[in-house]
Amino acid sequence: MAGKCAAMRPAPPSGAFLLRTLLAATPIFALSFGVLLVNRIEPRLFGFPFLFCWIAAWVLLTPAFLWTIGRVEKRW
Amino acid sequence: MSGLTALTIVAVIVFGTMGFALLGVRRVQMSPEQYIVGGRSFGTIFLWVLQAGEIYTTFTFLGIAGFAYSLGAPALYVMAYGTIAYIIAYFLAPAVWQVGKDNNLLTNADFFETRYNSRALGVGVALLSFAMVVPYVTIQLSGLQILLRIAGYGAYNATAAVIVGFLVMALFVFTAGLRGTAWASVVKDILVLAAVLFAGMAIPVHFFGSLRGLFDDLVAAHPQMLTLPPAGVFHGTLWYASTVLLSALGFYVGPQTFNSVYSARSGDALRRNAVFLPFYQILASLMVFAGLSAMLITPGLTGPAVDQSFLLVVQRYFPSWILGIVAGAGALAALVPASALLLAASSVIVKNVLGDAFGVATSDRSRTLLTRIVVIVVAVLALGIWMIAQKTVVELLLLYYNGITQFFPGVVAAFVWKRATAWGVGLGILTGVGVAVPMAALNILPFGMNAGFVALLVNVVVLVLVSLVTKRAGA
Repeated sequence: MAGKCAAMRPAPPSGAFLLRTLLAATPIFALSFGVLLVNRIEPRLFGFPFLFCWIAAWVLLTPAFLWTIGRVEKRW
Repeated sequence: MSGLTALTIVAVIVFGTMGFALLGVRRVQMSPEQYIVGGRSFGTIFLWVLQAGEIYTTFTFLGIAGFAYSLGAPALYVMAYGTIAYIIAYFLAPAVWQVGKDNNLLTNADFFETRYNSRALGVGVALLSFAMVVPYVTIQLSGLQILLRIAGYGAYNATAAVIVGFLVMALFVFTAGLRGTAWASVVKDILVLAAVLFAGMAIPVHFFGSLRGLFDDLVAAHPQMLTLPPAGVFHGTLWYASTVLLSALGFYVGPQTFNSVYSARSGDALRRNAVFLPFYQILASLMVFAGLSAMLITPGLTGPAVDQSFLLVVQRYFPSWILGIVAGAGALAALVPASALLLAASSVIVKNVLGDAFGVATSDRSRTLLTRIVVIVVAVLALGIWMIAQKTVVELLLLYYNGITQFFPGVVAAFVWKRATAWGVGLGILTGVGVAVPMAALNILPFGMNAGFVALLVNVVVLVLVSLVTKRAGA
């Protein structure tokens, strides 16, 4: 499988590195200190308080971010 | 007799799951590698099932609902930290796996021993891991007791049932090893999914018409529970953000997690797994809905009783067969992670302490046999601690939750800083644990943030300073 020498492969070009870092850092920030910006009930979406929607949305978006990192690293 | 119906269903679910899992492993020849890390053969799907199986414990099942029942929005931190943990795992887990594969590693202590070239560090990590994991097993027993007591409609105390159930599970681990835990997780994940969907959807719909109805009532009656308290107070915004980050760091460095990481077939299987695991995390939101519903339906529970909140709703307002299925799923949520923990605790003791340090049972055959025997010994030990010292268990748990994160700097430094030494990592872990546990016990909240951060910082500083003045063994 492709994982054979993948773990410690040399660092990719710096543009890809920046993109990967950004893709990983965005959901991490949104789900941690980012909530300080959205700590409110209104506007409610589908009846859910805004804070709940924000967190749920980022949980569901994270797989897309991770998948994109995999694409950038040419793993799939 | 409704209690009998529910308990019978629980028993059928628990023993049926173990039977199913035993069928799954019946042709497997057990070597230590097969027994402890599943022969390093699990693909993305099996790995996903196993990790979801061992991650979602009775805390997910009872604790999140209880947390939401008493505090509301802060309970959402579980969804956030799990998700961040998978982002970290995408990068970290394949690297750990590669070291494990190249050096035939079985335990977390093996990892430290190999990367830092120090048997003493390996043995130290093994002993600390053991001390952390055993109380974590006992908390699953307390969860199991709550479930069985409610499933019996309070007619009996359930201690005897907990003992029987747990010992049978230990015999199951004795026979089936990590592969058995993975097969049991297949049933567990499906049942927990069903139970969580019921708790988070059916209960709100039954009582409030819809989830919107639930939140309309909450906005009217308890709006303060739908946002986080302000920065600086316990469970406030800064507590939330810092706890989310800290818990995420600790998520993938537990001893039992190393076993499941090693069990992967390839690094890419772990990466794909990390992509898909956040979807499972969305289930935690349903348990938050269940807890909030229970708060409106049966208000007034306090203290440890909040953990029973949504189960009491099911017991009071739904037929006994539904209670049986929900409690059965909950019992698996206690027993399946406990099986992985038992295996992790036994393997560090047999491999790193008895084997490496004292030269006992070093052949493959005798090592598998001894690991199996120690599984039973650890199970009996955990039961003993649980029965005679329940109160101390809660304090011991502080050791797990606050101590586990302290392994993180040593794991990361193994990949990013060549200069890190065994002394630096070992003393870093010790001082980190030494700072984190008392601060957590005293509920200290520096700058409104989780105290574990201070401990982690101390850990890193000690790691760096001590590494700079010591030499890497054998390097």
